[in-house]
Amino acid sequence: MTRASKVLLTLVVLAAVAVAIFPFYWMIRTSVAAPSEVLSGGLGFFPETVTLENYKRAWEDGALGQSIIVGLANVFGILALQLVTCIPAAYVLAKVPRRWGRVLLTFVLAGLLVPTQVILVPLFIGVNAVGLADSLGGLILPFATSAFGIYMLRQQMLSIPDTLLEAAKTDGLGTIRTLISIVIPMAAPGIAAFSIFSIFVHWNDYIWPLLVARSPELRTPPLALAVFQQADAGMDYTALTAGAAIVTAPIVLLFLVAQKHFVQGMSGAESPS
Amino acid sequence: MIVAESRRQSRQYVNSVKAESVLPILLVTPATVGLALCVGLPTLLSLVGSFFSIPLVPGAPWQFVGFDNFVFVFTDDAVLQSIVNTFVYSALTIVPSLAIGLGLALLANAVVKGRALVRTLLFLPMTANLVAMSVVFNWIFSFNGGFVNQVLGLLGVAPINWTGDSQTSLLTVAMVGVWRTASLTMMIFFAGLATIPTSIDEATRSDGIRGLVRLTKITLPLIAPTVVFASVMAVLNSVQVFESINIMTQGGPLGSSETVLTMIWKLGFEYFELGRASALSFVLLAVLVLLGVLQRRTLAGGVK
Repeated sequence: MTRASKVLLTLVVLAAVAVAIFPFYWMIRTSVAAPSEVLSGGLGFFPETVTLENYKRAWEDGALGQSIIVGLANVFGILALQLVTCIPAAYVLAKVPRRWGRVLLTFVLAGLLVPTQVILVPLFIGVNAVGLADSLGGLILPFATSAFGIYMLRQQMLSIPDTLLEAAKTDGLGTIRTLISIVIPMAAPGIAAFSIFSIFVHWNDYIWPLLVARSPELRTPPLALAVFQQADAGMDYTALTAGAAIVTAPIVLLFLVAQKHFVQGMSGAESPS
Repeated sequence: MIVAESRRQSRQYVNSVKAESVLPILLVTPATVGLALCVGLPTLLSLVGSFFSIPLVPGAPWQFVGFDNFVFVFTDDAVLQSIVNTFVYSALTIVPSLAIGLGLALLANAVVKGRALVRTLLFLPMTANLVAMSVVFNWIFSFNGGFVNQVLGLLGVAPINWTGDSQTSLLTVAMVGVWRTASLTMMIFFAGLATIPTSIDEATRSDGIRGLVRLTKITLPLIAPTVVFASVMAVLNSVQVFESINIMTQGGPLGSSETVLTMIWKLGFEYFELGRASALSFVLLAVLVLLGVLQRRTLAGGVK
């Protein structure tokens, strides 16, 4: 590479990075400003004063503190159910040959094609019919299993050598013992990638909680923030950006500590459930 | 004796098969029931429901209306506008997202110092919460004191009512869409580029193949499945846009940024026309399934 093209490359990459992270900077920058700074019109590029008062308002007035508990219960409730349902199914599809395996796999692959957003109406009719609307169960149960999870874990388990499972059988290990002591440890990277993907999708999910969580105490973080914007805060962007930072921080932190698994999960697919 | 031995063995075999044949069924039952109830049944219901007028009260009888809901979906001006808007939004986001995503993946791969940091920062738009970022973009594009209008003001341009003007509302949410989707496609292209063996890289370099020729003749064919996958993800993301519109424009003004998904939402849960919402959902589902099948055809062999 010539010197000139190197400089050009650096400039383009820096510009792209600037565009990518500017909204995050502006979110933090606004969230620490005094409300009067925003109301008076122009907000300088660099903070003049730094206050955490806005975070307190978002946490309390915007009920974001409360929503985080709901968000965690929602995300980990879904994840627990998905792991319990997906891991055994993936194991059978990958390593226990059955005549009906092919049919079940086709069913799973068909499920992959159907995003939750598109079956929102019938899903809500169903949840409403069984009396789960406006409950934590209504938030969690529709995602109790995941076609993507089954498929992704099956792909991971396919790479476990058959000889290892044969050896386990010779040692007298049954199907369940083999699953717990051999298959799950060996599929751990895939399980981690799927878990992070699931947490990401359901922490960020907005449309389903918007539909199901009617009571204020059931609001997940994104929903609480949306309500905060519509109802109380209006144009108060200092409190709103503080709220946005509270909603975004956990998932960005998760991404930063587990980037490898995260990318593996994301570049696999990005449709929820 | 040999016969007796083999009989005994085969009887043992049959017994163990019996025990072993129930267990796998038990293991797949929760997932199968879950998929049937939460994906299969709703998909079926979305087709069936399209032919009915559905009351919101659980247990109340559905009224058969034939093709009325589909006729409505394809003749109502507001719904048609939402379909057109979805096409416009997709046109504004899909190609730019793919081009920028591929370009950035290639460029960031060429960065020597701080490549990991650059990559992490470029991934951030993909990871953030879209509702939160839409709130932030609302502020950035705000008419009064928003960053974009401030910068335009320095250049002597009059402030633009980005989200509140029917001329610019769809464009504004599309810009947010590109910001996010380019980050996703870049992540996918990164993963794809990493699969190119370094030996091929070295060979093309020593043969003096570079620039556009190398991109179109070597790199793109090698990552063809990745290109297809990234395209499908970009399309899926664009066609199902919801959060940014719900937060920034609520589909307005005057339906200028209404898309299919926000229209489904309005039909179903603001006007309580669940049958009409089902019909529009089913049309969208048919398009997406067709797209998914095409992707699998293109990637034949990718799925074992």
